Amino acid sequence: MINSAYFMSMLISGLKLGSIYAIVAIGYSIVYGILRLINFAHGDIMTIGVYIILMLMNQAGVPIPAALLISVAFSVGVGLLIERLAYRPLRDASEETTLISSLAVSALLQNMLQMVFSAQRQPFMLPEALRTTHKIGIVNLSTINIITFISTAIFLVILHLVLTKTRIGTAMRACSENLRAARLMGVNVNRVVMTAFAIGSGLAVIAGFLLAGEYKTVYPSLGFVPGLKAFCAAVIGGIGSLGGAVTGAFIIGIAEMLFAGLVPTTMTAYRDAFVFLLMVIVLLFRPNGLFGGSETARS
Amino acid sequence: MRKHALMRKAACVALTAAMTLAMAGTAAFADEPIVVGGIFNITGDQSSLDEPTQQGFELAIEEINAAGGVNGKMLEAVYDDGKTDTAVCASNAKKQINNDGAVVLAGFSDSDFAYAAGAVAQEAGVPFVFTGATTPDIPSTVGDCAFLCAFGDDVCAHAGADYAVEELGAKTAYVLTDNSMSYTTNLSDYFIERFEELGGEIVLQDYFASGDYDYSAQIARYQALGEEAGILFMATGPDDASTVIEQYRSAGVTGPMISGDGWDTDLWGVAGDLANQDVYVCTHFSSDDDSEAVQGFLSAYEEKYGKAPENAFAALGYDTAYLIASAIEACGDDVTPAAIRDALENTQDFPGITGTISYSAETHVPDKTVVVCQAEDGLLKFRKNI
Repeated sequence: MINSAYFMSMLISGLKLGSIYAIVAIGYSIVYGILRLINFAHGDIMTIGVYIILMLMNQAGVPIPAALLISVAFSVGVGLLIERLAYRPLRDASEETTLISSLAVSALLQNMLQMVFSAQRQPFMLPEALRTTHKIGIVNLSTINIITFISTAIFLVILHLVLTKTRIGTAMRACSENLRAARLMGVNVNRVVMTAFAIGSGLAVIAGFLLAGEYKTVYPSLGFVPGLKAFCAAVIGGIGSLGGAVTGAFIIGIAEMLFAGLVPTTMTAYRDAFVFLLMVIVLLFRPNGLFGGSETARS
Repeated sequence: MRKHALMRKAACVALTAAMTLAMAGTAAFADEPIVVGGIFNITGDQSSLDEPTQQGFELAIEEINAAGGVNGKMLEAVYDDGKTDTAVCASNAKKQINNDGAVVLAGFSDSDFAYAAGAVAQEAGVPFVFTGATTPDIPSTVGDCAFLCAFGDDVCAHAGADYAVEELGAKTAYVLTDNSMSYTTNLSDYFIERFEELGGEIVLQDYFASGDYDYSAQIARYQALGEEAGILFMATGPDDASTVIEQYRSAGVTGPMISGDGWDTDLWGVAGDLANQDVYVCTHFSSDDDSEAVQGFLSAYEEKYGKAPENAFAALGYDTAYLIASAIEACGDDVTPAAIRDALENTQDFPGITGTISYSAETHVPDKTVVVCQAEDGLLKFRKNI
């Protein structure tokens, strides 16, 4: 039953998932790197973005690129608002406190979406042109899949350049290494954190667009689990390493699909559990992730 | 001082006693409406089934009251949203019994909520008619206060297997099971049991958990079999139905698909025209039925809500309200939960639009007809009664 074509199709599905997780994970990695905040609401910002795109497309007839841009701008605003209201007052609190705060934000956002848009799944149809499948060798990929792969690479390069070549990027890396020391050195921490949230929220919306487009549907809890998996990816890859976050995302995407495809059928339903178990196992052997440098506890 | 305090206490007791008696008096003699509780999951995953149910239920209550009520008394329905959350459903049942004074409860399209809220009603001795829950062992698990308005999953899945073998000529079957719900796991077990009994072979059973939006692993595994199965039995809840159809059909799976009443929902939302390709649903009711009762229900529903009933669950809600009213009527002046329970149990040949309901002390699950429909142009078209 397990032939190479079957294996390849699992692998390709894994790559598709992985590239979407990757876009979320690089945003997540930056936020987590600076604040050590496990942001449960990250995936829900992604969902909000998808609903905004859906409304703009269906009700206002806005073309997709414009809808995407407007949605990114709106969601960045939401991300910044959440940071200001729910996380900044807790800047000096323990990691557990902010984690719980983010869980509350996540529940709030999901319930708000449910009240506004109902809990029903709604179709999210991209135009035919984006859904056409191309046969490349033995592999079938849709236009949106190819766009996903390319945009993952582009975002990775852009972010890398921002982090290494710009002033704010240097400040972000400094904050990631030691928030308190950076503040003492005159780095405007609030500005750094806001930039990180803006980048994270914007990327999440783009990933949400690709995810909803691939599976053709949107519902209030759509982003929650992918958000958590992106967190796993960032942790597996090693916090602070963008390449690590992307690698972690592909590892998770591929491992998830191979797990679902190769285990006995009675186990296929436990793929999410497997992903989280994978993170635990990696952390047991590499507490700083695969690409994370050895890190002393932050003061 | 002491004597005064004592007298004040005595006066208080006397006054309270008098008030209690007076209140009991009004309750017994005035023509107060009979309170019927309805708990439906208007929000959450179950809403596509429960919202039509509540609307059908409310329509029947209005019709009954417009026709003069039951034995001269009006029915007053109180509704609470179960939010697709078992804990909320259970506390709603408690609230309706203790605070609203409901003498009988109704609700739910899924068994998991029936167990949770049913246990509360059972403890209070209040009968609970489950509108669309279909696990046949609910009454034996919950207790003698639980009644199903719908057929059991066994009957539904057996009908699916019969239809697949007799009408579609299936000799092999593929089964996809959502293993996060007891409804879908039961349905699969009953289907497999009957299909094998009829001499069919299950070529593969695969699983997923509700909310997984990616079925590519399951599809690839199915396609790796090398040939289409004679029938694909898709045991999923209503939420996943359209997504499942879309992904299987888009990947080139062409075999006929059949499912239980969970698929009596909007199959076209995500799948579009793909849902019109050889998709069958075993459900409770078909609007193709041209009997007077069914057509009367359809036009009344459309008049009140401005749309045709979304699915068979509206009809189940409608039947449940009339079933409860007929039991209350049989109680005469003694409208207590215990009397209604007994009256329900003695129901014989109640003519509902979803089939005929009879209960006995042995079974609180009616032996009803299953309607097999095919998805066609955005509607479920009647195919066969089994």
